[in-house]
Amino acid sequence: MHHAHIDKFAYQDSVIHRLDSRVKFIVTVLFTAVVISLPRTSVSILFCYAVGPFAVLVLAGIPLRFVFKHILIVSPFVLVLAFSSVFYDRSIVRIAFGPFLWEVAAGWLRCFSILGKFIITMMALIALVSTTRFGNLLCGLQKLGFPNILVIQLGFLYRYIFILIDRAHHIIRARSGRKLKNLGVRREVKVAASMVGSLLGRSIDTAQRVNIAMEGRGFNGNWHSLSRLRVRASDIIFIFLAAAFTAGLFIFVKPILG
Amino acid sequence: MHMANELLSVPVAAGALAIAAGGLGLVCRKVREAVSSEKTALMGILGAFVFAAQMVNIQLPVMPGTSGHMVGAVLLAIILGPHPGAIVISSVVIVQCLIFQDGGLLALGCNIINMGLVPVYIGYFLYKAATAGRFSPVSAFIGAMIACVLSVEAGAALVCIEVGLSGVLVAPFGTFLTAMLGVHFLVGVVEGLLTVAVLAYLQQVRPDIVKDALQGKVRLSKKMVMVTFIIFTVLIGAGLSLLASEFPDGLEWSYAERPEEPEFEPAVENKDSKIAAVDDFQSKYSPLPDYTVRGSELGMLNAEIESSSGWTSFAGVTGAAVTMVVIWLSAYLLRKRKPEAG
Repeated sequence: MHHAHIDKFAYQDSVIHRLDSRVKFIVTVLFTAVVISLPRTSVSILFCYAVGPFAVLVLAGIPLRFVFKHILIVSPFVLVLAFSSVFYDRSIVRIAFGPFLWEVAAGWLRCFSILGKFIITMMALIALVSTTRFGNLLCGLQKLGFPNILVIQLGFLYRYIFILIDRAHHIIRARSGRKLKNLGVRREVKVAASMVGSLLGRSIDTAQRVNIAMEGRGFNGNWHSLSRLRVRASDIIFIFLAAAFTAGLFIFVKPILG
Repeated sequence: MHMANELLSVPVAAGALAIAAGGLGLVCRKVREAVSSEKTALMGILGAFVFAAQMVNIQLPVMPGTSGHMVGAVLLAIILGPHPGAIVISSVVIVQCLIFQDGGLLALGCNIINMGLVPVYIGYFLYKAATAGRFSPVSAFIGAMIACVLSVEAGAALVCIEVGLSGVLVAPFGTFLTAMLGVHFLVGVVEGLLTVAVLAYLQQVRPDIVKDALQGKVRLSKKMVMVTFIIFTVLIGAGLSLLASEFPDGLEWSYAERPEEPEFEPAVENKDSKIAAVDDFQSKYSPLPDYTVRGSELGMLNAEIESSSGWTSFAGVTGAAVTMVVIWLSAYLLRKRKPEAG
């Protein structure tokens, strides 16, 4: 697996990509908080909020198919919870949408509200991550007061994820090449355990070698980054636009749409 | 078990974030005191190992067609010690959120607590308690098994509590709790089996890794697996029935349904101080006043029709849709033009 398989879009260039990672992170957190705090029975306002992350994604040139495929992958748990609310909240409400009038269970409203919020906040998160290189994001988090040790940990983790996933793929391919049927619980567990165990052993060996190499180059447990983060005019414009969009919808449009 | 943003209310999410941040900060300080710099590479790579280990799945015997994998929280806690283990698993949860979008950004605090801090510490101390004193393969097996099952169940119970406190739950709290505990019991058993099997494998192949964690020989025998499985089923069954009788359905319903059905509130509030306390907590820590006035929401919906304000929501939705189409089209046209110009 290539190193940039998952966050390949973070290495593109656009107005959004060039923004300061701290600014993007804070805006995403606040936007998410506002969306989550919207009332649980109003669906139409969510459409308005979706415009924000949508605009950022389009502006950054992230393919929308990638975004929605990703949202679909992580959605099962939310889907179960959203649809379960349909069965439990059966009180009938009438909904008017343009010229149409429906009588539906209130659960459906909540179901769509949960799904809508899920999709919007996921769009915002994907917009953050696919326009920010992970190294820059870490650097920003460190500047925001993340503990040093956690930043190093995340940096290492990110660096080696792809290498170890590659190894796991090799081992799994070897197993599926040899195992032609289900072996029964006991053998299955044993096989899986020896796979995980050998993976663990090799990871620890790798860590030792990496550590020797890094100490040879003067690593003393501190994280230094060359990238300098600066808040520029474009960042301030972005903050202003995001705040105006989020607050404007909250103050002016939400009371109308309910 | 990854929680998404919309399963939480802002106060609960913020509280959990604060607790998780404080906890992680404390753990980081502890680790810096206790661990030399040579362990930083080890911890980082073991975090990546968790991702790789999660790809190794086995077919579950109870439900054909499903497969389970291991999370590794207890395994890492046993091998690395609790503090480094907690940092490794928390960093895994953070990367899962930031890179794989598994779990929401606002729910990150809850996820760190449910899947990182709580399972690692509970798992570690249960394992240590079971293997304290004279070491035997049975005690190591039972210890790892108990550690895995209970740590996973604790995380699942916390998910229920957080969702319940947020008032998002429409299903009765008891039903949700039972379902979560039931499903995660299986998850815990698979985790336990794999953890013990990995420990046994490591002891044979790489005894240097588990030297401190396992003093005697550990073997995975069929009889032992069956016996633990039966014991755990009985224990969990007993625990759940106890829980069910402790909280009568009515209270659960009023607790879970309170936000949507305001007429429930006075009846229960007078009798039970728990509901009042939860209510107090919610109203005190809700930063957005509109959020707590839930009683009027349904009323507003019905009133919408009377004032034919269906048109406003129609305008809102179509307006948003049209805006998105315009943004997309203009970006498409601009991008198309760029290569021609250049």
